[in-house]
Amino acid sequence: MLLLQNARIATENSPVLLEGDVLIVEGKIQDIGKSLAIPEGARIIDARGRILMPGMFDAHVHFRAPGFENKETITTGSEAAINGGVTGVVMMPNTRPALDSATAIATVLENATHRSRIPVYTSGCVTKNREGKELAEIEGMRTLGVKMLTDDGDTTADPAVLLRAMQYATEFGMFFASHCEVPELAGPRALNEGVMSYRLGIKGSPACAEEIIIDRDIRLARAAGAHVHIQHVSSKLGMETIRWWKSRGDVKVTAEVAPHHLMFTDEHIGDYDTNYKMNPPLRTQADCDALLEGLKEGVFDLIATDHAPHTPFEKAQDFISAPNGITGLDTALVSLYHHFVEPGKFGWDLVVKRYSAEPRRLMGLPVAAIEVGQPADCLLFDTEAETTFTREFMKSKSQNTPFIDQTLKGRVDMVILGAEILLER
Amino acid sequence: MARKDLLDIASLHREEIEFLLDQSTSFKKLFTRSVKKIPALEGKSVLMLFYEASTRTHSSFEVAAKRLSAEVTNFNVDHSSITKGESVRETIETLQAMRTDYIVVRHGHSGLPGMIARQTTASVINAGDGAHEHPTQALLDAFTIKEKFPDPRGKKVLIIGDILHSRVARSTSTLLQKLGVEVAYLGPGSLVPKYVPASIRRFTDYEAAMTWAPDVVYLLRVQMERQDVQFFPSVREYHRVYGITNTRLAEIRDRGLYIMHPGPVNRGVELCDAVMDYERSLITNQVENGISIRMAVLDWLTPGGEFPRQEAYAAQQRTSPPVIVP
Ligand SMILES: [Zn+2]
Repeated sequence: MLLLQNARIATENSPVLLEGDVLIVEGKIQDIGKSLAIPEGARIIDARGRILMPGMFDAHVHFRAPGFENKETITTGSEAAINGGVTGVVMMPNTRPALDSATAIATVLENATHRSRIPVYTSGCVTKNREGKELAEIEGMRTLGVKMLTDDGDTTADPAVLLRAMQYATEFGMFFASHCEVPELAGPRALNEGVMSYRLGIKGSPACAEEIIIDRDIRLARAAGAHVHIQHVSSKLGMETIRWWKSRGDVKVTAEVAPHHLMFTDEHIGDYDTNYKMNPPLRTQADCDALLEGLKEGVFDLIATDHAPHTPFEKAQDFISAPNGITGLDTALVSLYHHFVEPGKFGWDLVVKRYSAEPRRLMGLPVAAIEVGQPADCLLFDTEAETTFTREFMKSKSQNTPFIDQTLKGRVDMVILGAEILLER
Repeated sequence: MARKDLLDIASLHREEIEFLLDQSTSFKKLFTRSVKKIPALEGKSVLMLFYEASTRTHSSFEVAAKRLSAEVTNFNVDHSSITKGESVRETIETLQAMRTDYIVVRHGHSGLPGMIARQTTASVINAGDGAHEHPTQALLDAFTIKEKFPDPRGKKVLIIGDILHSRVARSTSTLLQKLGVEVAYLGPGSLVPKYVPASIRRFTDYEAAMTWAPDVVYLLRVQMERQDVQFFPSVREYHRVYGITNTRLAEIRDRGLYIMHPGPVNRGVELCDAVMDYERSLITNQVENGISIRMAVLDWLTPGGEFPRQEAYAAQQRTSPPVIVP
């Protein structure tokens, strides 16, 4: 039994925070109200000044297992999630072997139940071994609960293959998540093409490499009557393309944006800092501004980190040799607070809606809400405290993040899932 | 004014540039003496780490180091295999153990000399990294121009060719602008990106560029090895549109313009053969000035001291603590 007293409660529906006590009994929210009576044997937590909100849900993470356990495991990845206030994740299938069959999915789910303290879901590949040629074992994966199909890390290059996959899988109620990039235009280096790529002398990837596939995949989805989810949008015109298609209303499109694309530009790469090397690349301030607009308008249904761990050894190479990607789970919520909520750019309702409720809806899961009768799935956030992202603080096995050793405002104090307190600081 | 490394022109101050150009003048005077060696770097070691073949730059640095009485070692780089950042890092550890004083490095990856510089106590000189920078080339270019125009402010240099892949274009244009020289680019649209700095004028055709009245025409080498991706239809067309043809050379002679080229020249592509005999071609001057500039740079840098980011680097090597789950 847990009684949280005087918490300010954030919901997805209103920027106004309700205030009150929340009583959790046997992993369920039993009562919410002002000055609740203290039941015998209840542990009392003084939540005054702190914000109680539903646990976050990240629909785009790379846990690297199987195959790259030196970068991350389901255990370390989910601990990083808890550390950042995230109580559920969807893994991407670009593992080794790739998650393209029921057998592979079964192994991951089996591992997840034993090695993670939070629910770990996984997406499956569109094509066998992510090669873009033959369809993966789509229905077999569905029987194990897979909903999202993606060749993330790459675009399914052949539009005919993707169209066929869409026609086939839509019958099973599955949807497609698209990593949007024309490889011939993007090249191998994750750097925006522009002033910065010129200065650094590295071939850049133009934003049009992304825009083209966003448009292509939405058109394919429209033709197939499928639902397409556009992953990690990085460009202004990419956002506008999605906005335009959504406004037409004749195709089911959802989209996500990553915190780093809202916060950083290619200028941050500065002296070839590989902690800013990611795909799609960081673009310009104008793109950041447009993405933020898109997030506030709802062009982006959800925020997802694209948590992409790589070992220090790999990232400590020169910019061109280093792999793409940064971790995000440990830092996402605090950085969103620091960069946007605290300066008043958007409210907690947006965070709850876009980083907790909508991603769960996308996956067809019940939304975590702080309401009587709901299972406890929540966190306490201290807006006055600070977090310093030292290596010791971070729980991801890899720590390739621009936030390393930075101090930001806000702190995840407690994470509660069901009858368990997963984290307490 | 002491610096450990020379990695780029962008971060050099004007005073540092002036200093290096002055020093180069003094060193160049040595060349007419019968004994060309001075003991400035006696007992010091210079290591040549060339991941890309380059006879010209390599031998220029080697001669410069030897004239300063330094010991020169060539680190054997296997040019046949693809050399990635990982193997470079192992090499750096070896080099650090050898306690060499200077490392002259050329690599196809932009930013790699900077990475080496952060991990060694040796002074690192960037002898060309990818399409990023080639600072000693820029210094020798500026030196060559100053020999003809002691006060280069307001002079105009037209750089023609592959701007996109050229570290020479980046370094030289940056340096010239720092000296008050006006710079313009001309080249195929596929090789002159539209986002080059606004301070650099951009021409789309040769005739228009000539009406701008440049003092120097600087031809960049067409990198034939890049022709797996077609940036222009043919070498013949390139020469006709962007090269110095016989007709254009006649006009250049009439106008009294200087011609420069970082070498080695693709004859009949950037330049017609007759340019080699043109009295205002500065191409051999550039080669000669390369030695005194590199002497000035070696003499100027101060090896030793701390690793600038060693602490951060070491911390990165640490692995995170294991997470135990009940
Ligand atoms: Zn992706």
